Amino acid sequence: MMVDFKAIRDEFPILDQEIHGHPLVYLDSAATSQKPQCVIDAEANFYRTINAGVHRGAHELAARSTLAFEEARAKVAKLVGANAAEGEEEIVVTGGATAGLNLLATAFGNASLGRGGEAAKRFALKPGDEIVVSRAEHHSVLLPFQELSYRTGATFKWLDLTEDGRVRTDNLDEVITERTKVVAVTHVGNTTGAITDIAPIVRRAHEVGAVFILDACQSVPHLKVDFHALDVDFAAWSAHKMYGPTGVGFLYGKRELLEALPPANFGGSMVELAYMDHEAQYMAPPARFEAGTQPVAQVVAAGVAAEWMMNIGLENIEAHEKTIAAELLKLGDIDGIRILGPRENVDRIGTVAFDVQGVHPHDVGQFIDAQGIAIRVGHHCAQPVHRHFGLYASNRASSGVYNSVEDAQALVEAAKGIRKFFGVE
Amino acid sequence: MSDYGMSGDELEQMYQEVILEASKHPHGRESFAPDAAVEQSGDAAAANTTVRATHEYCTPGESHQFNPTCGDEATVHVEVSDSEPHTIERLVWDGHGCSISQASLSVMVDLVEGKTVDEAMHLEQVFHQLMESRGAGLNDDALEDELGDAVVFQGVSKYPMRIKCALLGWEGLKDSVAKALAAKN
Repeated sequence: MMVDFKAIRDEFPILDQEIHGHPLVYLDSAATSQKPQCVIDAEANFYRTINAGVHRGAHELAARSTLAFEEARAKVAKLVGANAAEGEEEIVVTGGATAGLNLLATAFGNASLGRGGEAAKRFALKPGDEIVVSRAEHHSVLLPFQELSYRTGATFKWLDLTEDGRVRTDNLDEVITERTKVVAVTHVGNTTGAITDIAPIVRRAHEVGAVFILDACQSVPHLKVDFHALDVDFAAWSAHKMYGPTGVGFLYGKRELLEALPPANFGGSMVELAYMDHEAQYMAPPARFEAGTQPVAQVVAAGVAAEWMMNIGLENIEAHEKTIAAELLKLGDIDGIRILGPRENVDRIGTVAFDVQGVHPHDVGQFIDAQGIAIRVGHHCAQPVHRHFGLYASNRASSGVYNSVEDAQALVEAAKGIRKFFGVE
Repeated sequence: MSDYGMSGDELEQMYQEVILEASKHPHGRESFAPDAAVEQSGDAAAANTTVRATHEYCTPGESHQFNPTCGDEATVHVEVSDSEPHTIERLVWDGHGCSISQASLSVMVDLVEGKTVDEAMHLEQVFHQLMESRGAGLNDDALEDELGDAVVFQGVSKYPMRIKCALLGWEGLKDSVAKALAAKN
């Protein structure tokens, strides 16, 4: 199928503007993606026509709202190859990837305290057990699981990185041992853009009976992802990086694991029977993990975003962004600029972090912004990754489906003037 | 720099020659503090080089300032006279960061070294006011004269994301002076 990416770009009203007298070039999709008109409309239309609480109330709007909410869940499930049939749902609505990962860490902590009964014991941690992450993790993976290790006394370990920032898989048997209970690794490095070779890590985790958690924030928006095929146990990601609204995300879990997992957040709409004098009986997943009023309009719009992506075709999105990655990697050909991550356009996405020798990232960002180009500067919530490269902060350009090769070229051209402007050439 | 058109003007307004020059050869910078940001840590062995440790490292007349969003850090070291009125006899700093933070530290050293603590704290307040002016400046010639070269940071005050860069050193001055005075009592 030939896709008209120019027409797709035109679906994003925000891109049709000038910044500092230049047409906006948005290369910060790893931070958050822009939203197509259909997603913006879906959220507004929900409020205009069907807004009501879900899974409660018996009036017509409540029924329509519930239907829309569950339809959205099904669309999102389809995007990632998960089950959505009633009673078999594998997608939990969360407040975002961070909320989903914290939900897991909290639930494992609860299991470690004996909550959730016999079924939850597989998630319980005690001193001597191990939690394994990688040095490539975003703080939202690193910190919830590091905190979990402090709470339970489990040992915190990590997979190191190769020189070009890929998660090392050559010493899995050493790092992931019979004592390892939890392994949490990113699918795509949010700084390096490197796609992790997760298959051997998942295999090794399962070999020792550990639960494998995937941070899918930077993969779901750009690649065809099938959680069943990957055989991951849990995966978390955000809607706002996949052309959907902010404030909502999703947690995938294999059905049998979601059924065994104790709740982490407590309140309305997650309990079947509540009493004053003995413990409550909680609902089945996904409701068990969706306490409180849900961001229904945002979930509905996220469902529209998922459908919109599937209509374009994830293979097409991936192929298109690969051409942009190729162009962005030319940053590495400029004197004094170093790419932090794989230099070759293989097993990577269009997220390219770079360091400009002698010029601080804040200054780089300001210089680039003056030309209407938006990139991210700072540590991208991944300080250990930057230390791996001997830096504290960097500059990061990241593509979305709406970017053109010309966008990437504009950045490369602008970047050529950085060191001259700051007098370090 | 005219190649950058309209945005080039804005960029020039922000990165005035004084700033670019001072950031390349900043005054008052000496090497005396541990460096939190560039340590290859993440390992237990590097635990003594964390920012927390750097805060603890500080002597009575020192203050460690850190901007977690970009990693800029400055340890400001001040020596204040025993006799009153207390005077800033020596002001040096150690750190690294963007051109705005480095230049601001440099200009600050030129401006307050040798002044009384009261004068320095007054200048700190005026500079703070300038940085809160959203590009408008102080509209007060006398105050702007007092700031000397530090008025070039007016252009920076238009950019909310960068104000903290310009204030990093001044926050360190305020804190280190307070600590130095407290140690005398």
